[in-house]
Amino acid sequence: MTLAARFLGGAKSRLLPVSVPFRFFTTAVCFHVIAWFVLVITAEDLPAFTGGPGMVLAALHLLTLGVLVMTAMGAAFQLLPVATRRPLLRVWPARLCYWLLMPGTLILAYGMASGHASAMHAGGAAVVLALAVFAIIIGDNLRRVGDLPVVGAHGWAALASLAGFAALGLLLVANYAKGVLPDHQAAGLAHMILAGFGFMGLLALGFSHVLIPMFSLSPVLPPRPSWTGFWLAAGAVLLAAVAAIARQPALLAMSSVMGLCAGGVYLWLMYWALKTGMRKRLGLSFFLIKLSWGGLVLSLLTGVALAFGIPIPNGMTLFGFLLIAGWLATFLTGILQRIMPFLGSMHGKDASGRPMTPAKLTAEIPLKIHAVCHVAAVVLCAAAIVADLGALARAGAVFGLIGAVAFAGFALRLVTKLV
Amino acid sequence: MSTSGTNIWQAGDGTHIDVRGLQPPEPLVAILMLLEQDCTQDRVIVHHDREPVFLYPELAERDWDHAIIDGDPGEVRLLLTRRQ
Repeated sequence: MTLAARFLGGAKSRLLPVSVPFRFFTTAVCFHVIAWFVLVITAEDLPAFTGGPGMVLAALHLLTLGVLVMTAMGAAFQLLPVATRRPLLRVWPARLCYWLLMPGTLILAYGMASGHASAMHAGGAAVVLALAVFAIIIGDNLRRVGDLPVVGAHGWAALASLAGFAALGLLLVANYAKGVLPDHQAAGLAHMILAGFGFMGLLALGFSHVLIPMFSLSPVLPPRPSWTGFWLAAGAVLLAAVAAIARQPALLAMSSVMGLCAGGVYLWLMYWALKTGMRKRLGLSFFLIKLSWGGLVLSLLTGVALAFGIPIPNGMTLFGFLLIAGWLATFLTGILQRIMPFLGSMHGKDASGRPMTPAKLTAEIPLKIHAVCHVAAVVLCAAAIVADLGALARAGAVFGLIGAVAFAGFALRLVTKLV
Repeated sequence: MSTSGTNIWQAGDGTHIDVRGLQPPEPLVAILMLLEQDCTQDRVIVHHDREPVFLYPELAERDWDHAIIDGDPGEVRLLLTRRQ
């Protein structure tokens, strides 16, 4: 090792021990299987679900907290310090975050499924603590960054949404036992908007500014439309959350149009990245990522239709399902199947001592099975919600479960090669 | 030669590329564009302001090896060599 290489210990430390991001990713893969399994059991209740304790609420939070938030945390802890050149000051808070989120999600989901109030309180408190630790770690990293302003702005807006949805989440849990909220439905809608479009959505939009150009090998996205998209998205989330709590249909309609415009700008930026990128054969991961953009558009259009009073059977359930399963889960499984081999290759060595290539760490057949089953699951469940058919929802959930098991097969193969 | 803020020049020890000051992922894109040009030699020296950890999987896919070599203060200098 040269002198220069020894001095670069600090730079290298931006790459966390492999166990840190991969504990989040592998746990997300397990929660993915559990969430679809619970949905298979309770599929009959999915089409008419409007909130409240039960198995559907448990499945929903296994998917949102267990898969989406778990993946986002693992990715943020590893990717952000590398992109921003600011290493995490300590690794143990990231591990603490995991040990709060993983059991917290399980206990919360158990409490929701069984209607056990104390389990909901304990699980909810652990999850909120995990989110608070995450916000401190990422906030500290973003505070020390100056050269990625658009990504930083999305990060700050996502953290502000996190504070809002976590507080509302605790109030919603408390409301089941003590009735502390004047309007549970309104708070529930604001919680969903802040969590789905605010926290997860803005994180997905922000990371897209680095990940999509990086994987498609395109130049940096043009700053003016990027900033326009950010202000529209952040403004739409804030306006929609306020409108939901204040029960202001006109404001909600305005926010839905703003959100649709933000989605349009984002998709134009993604199209620009893919068009100008050197890499044209982007593989299966981008098949899912492109489909997820369709899910984003459909969820936004459903939101606009509902906000303008256009009747859609089980419209609110469809809106939430398209947001969470159609857009976010599709996007994150697409990203996850790309970054797991990519990050793994930085740590793994082959028999000759050379770094393993990402191609050697992936598994095409399980990922193809997952892609087909995931698309079938989303389409069938969405159709089941509109048609109010429990049996169709069960068929969709079975496809989702098969896809999740196949995805777990890919992850297991990758981890086995790394250890 | 200079392309969108990237300086590329030839020297006795190989082709040099300076990507300092570029916003991610432009350094990665500029380096990979250079490697994929047919005229590139088998040795490329990269002048960077950070260790480009996300570049390594891309190099492995393209059969290039990397090593950190001594550079100026505040600089991360990499030697990239094409595998025989």
